[in-house]
Amino acid sequence: MKNFSYLLGLFVVILAFVAYDLYDKNKQLERSVHASYTNDLSTATEKLSLLHRSVSQSLLFQDERALTTELDNIWRLSSELRKSVSNLPLQDEVQTQWMRYLGRIGNTAKMTADSGDFNNWQSTMEPVSANLNAFAEEWNVATVSFYENNGDFNKWSANKAMEIKDSPFLGASKQLKSYNETDFPLTASESDFEKKRDLEHLSDQPITKKQAIEKFKKYFPEISDAAITVTKSRDDAPYPFYHIQFIRGTRVGYADITEKGGHLLSFLMERPVAKSALSHEEILDTAKKFMKKVGYEDVVISETRENHEAWHLVFTRVYGEDNALVYPDSIQLKIAKDNAEILGISAMEYVQEEKIPQQAALPINWETFFADNVKVEEVKNIYTADNTFTLRKCYEVIARIDNNFQDTFRIVIDAETHRVVKNEKLK
Amino acid sequence: MKKLIYLMAIVSLSFSINASAFSNQDVQRGAFGDDVVELQARLQYISFYHGAIDGKFGYGTYWALREFQEKYGLPVDGIAGKATKDKLANNSDFDKAYVDKQIKSGNRFTYYGGMPLDQQVKNGGGSNSTSSMQLPVKYSEQDLQLMANAVYGEARGEAYEGQVAVAAVILNRLESPEFPDTISEIIFQPLAFTAVADGQIWLEPNERAKQAVLDAINGWDPSENALYYFNPVTATSKWIWSRPQIKQIGEHIFCL
Repeated sequence: MKNFSYLLGLFVVILAFVAYDLYDKNKQLERSVHASYTNDLSTATEKLSLLHRSVSQSLLFQDERALTTELDNIWRLSSELRKSVSNLPLQDEVQTQWMRYLGRIGNTAKMTADSGDFNNWQSTMEPVSANLNAFAEEWNVATVSFYENNGDFNKWSANKAMEIKDSPFLGASKQLKSYNETDFPLTASESDFEKKRDLEHLSDQPITKKQAIEKFKKYFPEISDAAITVTKSRDDAPYPFYHIQFIRGTRVGYADITEKGGHLLSFLMERPVAKSALSHEEILDTAKKFMKKVGYEDVVISETRENHEAWHLVFTRVYGEDNALVYPDSIQLKIAKDNAEILGISAMEYVQEEKIPQQAALPINWETFFADNVKVEEVKNIYTADNTFTLRKCYEVIARIDNNFQDTFRIVIDAETHRVVKNEKLK
Repeated sequence: MKKLIYLMAIVSLSFSINASAFSNQDVQRGAFGDDVVELQARLQYISFYHGAIDGKFGYGTYWALREFQEKYGLPVDGIAGKATKDKLANNSDFDKAYVDKQIKSGNRFTYYGGMPLDQQVKNGGGSNSTSSMQLPVKYSEQDLQLMANAVYGEARGEAYEGQVAVAAVILNRLESPEFPDTISEIIFQPLAFTAVADGQIWLEPNERAKQAVLDAINGWDPSENALYYFNPVTATSKWIWSRPQIKQIGEHIFCL
């Protein structure tokens, strides 16, 4: 009995020790997360104040150099503030609106620095400066409880779970939503981009579920005897489509086909792929034949990438007498390495189809454009969207620096303004 | 007799090191695999190629190959056909065992001729060809790995299409001005993904999750431009129900 009591006592002591250790570790963890959130909150508050000051100061200048320095500050501060905001456990309504607002401020600063349109900056940012001032006050009120010196982690976790109407950030959320609408209304090219993404230009007659299945079988006759389930997109979907899921032996996959006109948006199939591999030429041949068969005749191969089981190929629409590549109108194809079976096609961008604008193309002297040790290897005419979502005719240059590592770059230059639109280091 | 056997052993060893393991297929930019590994190693052996031997036929390999073709009087097309492979095999060595071992071990290494091999290896920090993949230029191996972790943690019980859709949502957020600007920041936004909150993101992703991410990165989006998804059985947020819904795949409803 004595031994039993002794053992029981020992057990209770050990249990108490383990429980205390667990409790202590949890508290340490909570304190660490609490400190991290408080740090991000303090940083966000400080950066908000700096951003407001910088935006106000930028309104002082007409001098290009003075304004450009301030624009750089605004772009940097908005980016840093976005980072702090994204690290806070805020409601989605607050976070997404704030991220959008900050993004618009930063992008406007960057585009103004690029374009030199300082008059537009003054007229756009005057209300932004006033709104940032008002928002900073609202933010201070909303966050005051998070600075209380009680180290209570629960207020953070409770805030994320709380509905916005009960949250201290309700006012901030409403303000930000309103500022986004009034200070940065969608530009014409952004609005066009959204319409294009939502396939608003499709004017074809709607097809029935039965016709969608027929389309599917026409595209992919090899799996026409598969077991098929068809559902329609939800009522809220920006564009209605049929979602076809299929199973045939080990082949399982889906295809999405628009209701208007029965355009194939995407198709993807999963199946085991054997280790044997066909040659690159055989893969390309099959891909080209497939594209011709399904009616994509105005496209050329612009990219190929081999991986363990499949090749991913990109076909791009060509336009005009110079066969310029319209990159936003591309089709992705996935082909099995073992027998060149089509495993996937993504034609969404091609269905969206860009309207090609009229634009001048002025020649560039590459010898003076690039540094002396740069070799221009290839120049193509292309169309691509710039950072304002406007489609521009550009020169795509593949150039390399003549060094040991043969660093290779893809530089996209606006054919009219000669501004560098993109600059990527190629692998 | 002993000397003869010794000599034969040396000859046979040197022959086995130099022996070409090239397949009979033409290899060109975009290709991936053992043929490219041998091509890079041989080009590096004779100092035409200075990049990583990773089996990915990118621009570094392409320019090195063209330079080799030019120097050895071959047609300069950047394609490793039979004539190019033969010429390369005759003018370089390839120690397949050494190269394969370093790649499998994920070591950083080079394969220059005339330098002891043990001085050309640094343990760790290289790419492992069994997990390595060729990606579009704006994505890194780290992006793929992180997304595969997220997809496996969030949707490993879903059909392949559902896994690709989860990866596509992450990429759609990357394009949206309402979300952070890097894949890592998107995934680790506080409470944005359940798998981060419950720790399942740290499970080792399987090959299927990686393939799903690879397809999303290459342009597939079964979610049709969705920015959110949720499980209608377990979702507690009223806000998520207010989002415009696009489609349901398996257990997840995808929405804007």
